[in-house]
Amino acid sequence: MLESAIEILLKTIVILALPLGALPLIIHVERRGAAFMQKRLGPNRVGPFGLLQPLADVAKFMFKEEVHPTHVKPFFYVAAPLVALVVAILPLACIPIAAPFELFGRTIFPEVFRTDMGIFYAFAVSALGSYGILLAGWASNNKYSMLGALRACAQMVSYELSLSTSVVAMIFLYGTNDIHQMIGAQTGYWFGFLPKWGVFIQPVAAMLFLVGIFAESNRLPFDLAEGESEIVAGYHLEYSSMKFALFFMAEYIHMIALSALFIILFFGGYALLPGMSFLAEKSPILLVALQALSLITKIALMIWFFVWVRWTLPRFRYDQLMTLGWERLLPLGIANLIITVLFVYYRN
Amino acid sequence: MSIYYYLSAFLFCLGLIGTILKKDLISMLLCIELMLGGVALLFILFSKSTGFIDSQLMVIFMMIISACEVAIGLSLIIALYRNKQTIYTDEIKIITE
Amino acid sequence: MGVDILLTILTVVFALMVVFSKKTVVSAFALLMTLLCLAMIYFQLGTVFLSAVQVLVNAGAIAILFVFVMMLIDLEQFPNNRERNKIKLVISIFTILIIMGVLALIINNNIDTLTVINLSDNSMKALFEKLYNTYYLPFEMATVLLLAAIVACVVITNHRKDDDSDNEGADKGVHP
Repeated sequence: MLESAIEILLKTIVILALPLGALPLIIHVERRGAAFMQKRLGPNRVGPFGLLQPLADVAKFMFKEEVHPTHVKPFFYVAAPLVALVVAILPLACIPIAAPFELFGRTIFPEVFRTDMGIFYAFAVSALGSYGILLAGWASNNKYSMLGALRACAQMVSYELSLSTSVVAMIFLYGTNDIHQMIGAQTGYWFGFLPKWGVFIQPVAAMLFLVGIFAESNRLPFDLAEGESEIVAGYHLEYSSMKFALFFMAEYIHMIALSALFIILFFGGYALLPGMSFLAEKSPILLVALQALSLITKIALMIWFFVWVRWTLPRFRYDQLMTLGWERLLPLGIANLIITVLFVYYRN
Repeated sequence: MSIYYYLSAFLFCLGLIGTILKKDLISMLLCIELMLGGVALLFILFSKSTGFIDSQLMVIFMMIISACEVAIGLSLIIALYRNKQTIYTDEIKIITE
Repeated sequence: MGVDILLTILTVVFALMVVFSKKTVVSAFALLMTLLCLAMIYFQLGTVFLSAVQVLVNAGAIAILFVFVMMLIDLEQFPNNRERNKIKLVISIFTILIIMGVLALIINNNIDTLTVINLSDNSMKALFEKLYNTYYLPFEMATVLLLAAIVACVVITNHRKDDDSDNEGADKGVHP
């Protein structure tokens, strides 16, 4: 009893510490990446390569004055950033950072919440993601915030549909809901060199999911919820200092969680990167470390992809976004689902 | 586990009282959701005590039906609000136009 | 045992907030919390799949729809406790008490059979084998019902009076 409590506590700490610790680094990469794309230098004054700049930003956020406008709904105004952050963290609970391993005679599943329908759980809780934004927009009692929140909410609900069609197609293909079994189906190679990743079997579903996570995490080219040029800053217009920083953190953690799900479904999750397998045979602990390293590398590349897209594509117009979601992606997703089901039916 | 039986009865009754007492349509729909929640809980409890998995399926059907009910109910409310600028049940006296 | 009571108290508090809160938006968020508490109860009872579906469908979609519509309609002009009828309140509370009493009697008399836990296979596989074998016709009907609901929503909300100049273009930017 005590042992399992300690185990869960340790796993929770690791799962919370990894993304929260990576946040300053991600923000740094984002700003330096932006500068790189635009042939600027970016923040490079504080510390080596400007690496300490995010810490300086955090200190600034901490010591800034908390402006509390008088026209807001007080309870919900304070609750909204917390809701956003907590809901963003929840899907991380079922994401395994390595395969189950033996330690001190116990089989340890390296995820906080062990269930055989992990992918389902992750999508169920990430469906709650729009509440933080909706609450913020409503509590701010401000037309721009309200518009931003309504936009964000409609966008997230719409793109959840095409996202779930691609997830259901992958569940059919792997024949399981269990994340470990899904990743197990993706380990190994075709013809000796091509990894058995889902993206090579289901490129359409991967594309749908990729577009979906951009819309779900409100990132450019789909950041209509913020849209500075039209609605100032959207739902976090009335927020300052640490409350604003919480929204910022929620967005990045949501991004990490969705990238992790994308990698689990389409890029083999913690399956070793090509070329690592000869190292992994040395010892089981090394294998676990290499698996965690593979997952983190893939997530890091995915984050870089987010930055890359952000500074490459312009923002969509709102009706273009809705047309893309409902009239292009959803029929495509349903067609893909039907083809996948037929394929699975005739394969068996 | 027995306390959940009382909880489901309580939720159903509370939803009922809300549906009767409320004047505005949105709150009435909210209370109907509450009633449905109570009944769904009862179905799951039955599935635990009888060992039949069928009553869990009933919960799935109930979710489908409640989704339809809410979607149509809310779109009716929006249509009503556009035409009559009200959502109170006692202000809607005529059914046509 | 403690978890039972805690979850029950939480659910009861939020359910009371749904009915007796003065602001409709607060009731909607309280309903969301009630549904999440019910999901936790389902989880505790061992029906993990239904708990996930509850979060996904009821909390993730239905409650969002409620909040969304509330924001489209200006609720400030519609307080939800207008002219509360005292006699009606008293009568309904009595009715509810009688119903609760009858239900409590029924539950109390059958408590032995009701609280027996028969182990059943709660896995998704067992659930869906039953769904696609025994209940395939109701399932197909449910899908048709959903389709009908989608069409109905689009038709109802797209209807516009021609002579109403106030609402002209009000739903032009809104996608069905």
